[in-house]
Amino acid sequence: MTTPTATLTDRYVAAAARHLPETQRDEFARELRERIADEIDARLAASADGAPTTAADAEDAVLRELGDPAALAAAYIDRPLQLIGPRYFLAWKRLLTLLYAIVVPITAAAVLLAQLLSGAGPGEVAAEVVGVVLALVVHLAFWVTLVFAILERTPGTKAVERWTPDQLPEIRDEGRAGRLGDLIASLVFLGLFAVVIVWQQVRPPSFGGPGQEIPVLDPELWSLWLPYFLVLIVLEMLFAVAIYLWGWNWPLAIANLVLNVAFTVPALWLLATEQLFNPAFLDVIGWPWDGAGAVTTTVLVVVFVGIAVWDVIDGVVKTVRGRGGSALTLGRI
Amino acid sequence: MSTDDTTAGHLQELRRGTVVLGCLVRLREPDYGYALLESLNELGITVDANTLYPLLRRLEKQGLLTSEWNTDEARPRKFYRTSPAGEQLAGVLTADWKNIDRALTRLTSGDDR
Repeated sequence: MTTPTATLTDRYVAAAARHLPETQRDEFARELRERIADEIDARLAASADGAPTTAADAEDAVLRELGDPAALAAAYIDRPLQLIGPRYFLAWKRLLTLLYAIVVPITAAAVLLAQLLSGAGPGEVAAEVVGVVLALVVHLAFWVTLVFAILERTPGTKAVERWTPDQLPEIRDEGRAGRLGDLIASLVFLGLFAVVIVWQQVRPPSFGGPGQEIPVLDPELWSLWLPYFLVLIVLEMLFAVAIYLWGWNWPLAIANLVLNVAFTVPALWLLATEQLFNPAFLDVIGWPWDGAGAVTTTVLVVVFVGIAVWDVIDGVVKTVRGRGGSALTLGRI
Repeated sequence: MSTDDTTAGHLQELRRGTVVLGCLVRLREPDYGYALLESLNELGITVDANTLYPLLRRLEKQGLLTSEWNTDEARPRKFYRTSPAGEQLAGVLTADWKNIDRALTRLTSGDDR
């Protein structure tokens, strides 16, 4: 058969047969050829009554209806047309979630520690951690998916795990889930705060060109007060984790008060006695601004105290409400 | 999804198994794919070519149909015939179909005899 119309069918059959195992190809090609020829005949016969159709048109229409040869071949041999089907999807998702939850934080912490020990700058540390975590996330997803995609296409493999009631998760602590956002926000804010304190010393902001880099905070504070504040920030982070784990209660509300006092009082004292900011920095920005220094200081003091008081009150309110809240929840059930 | 799509989907679900039964019964007389398709549709067992051809292949693989190439005519055609195992399955499916029919009849007539 060398007519152009036959060639189209030939090409279609060849394209579809390529997707079958070699041993089944000849038989499949014969079957498909029979089907296409019969359907073309049916179309030609139908057209005898109405508008005439050429053999080429009929062939075109039939092949068009058969659709993508790869999809047709897949339907004939029951090959999955998805990367990972329902049989493996849940196992794939569970494994990937587990790996992400365990491997990513550990790796991020390890890289962070290694970078800090090697004395890299904050920017370098952040870039390295983000880079490694991104690469890890992509690699884990790729390799796990590849293994499952191969399993999906391996005949005779059974479902990897039989589900048992032991796998049922504990009922989620709704309060804890709600506090997760608070925890993340606190940790990010405190982390940034610590980075800024270190950074303004290591990579001071520039005021008008090279040689003009001046730390904002008084470098003498490194002898005691800045390390003290950094330790406080770490304690605040631990406190945020405690709030996430246990929710607000009286001991934690009191701890919150203590932490706020420990932070605000020295900060205000340093500010009031003009030890907080670097004198060189104040010179550069022209402090005090035409006698407005006292007013600005007062505003800063009020803001500092306001934030601290509000934070303590917020903790107390949440503690009180937490007690009442849980009773309300029980009442609703 | 529109109501028509929903209806079409459920109809397809309902008919899926009946195509197998229709094939097994109809192929007690050997026949080839296209003729089978035509006759089933004429009988009112609606089936699509894209469903039927792969189905024939699968039933043959499961030993429910046997096949033979007929080369008497200009176009070679694969003739399928119901095997003894296919005959047995047809019996089981028919019995079950009748059970379902009776159950649904009882259900719709509200008669719980």
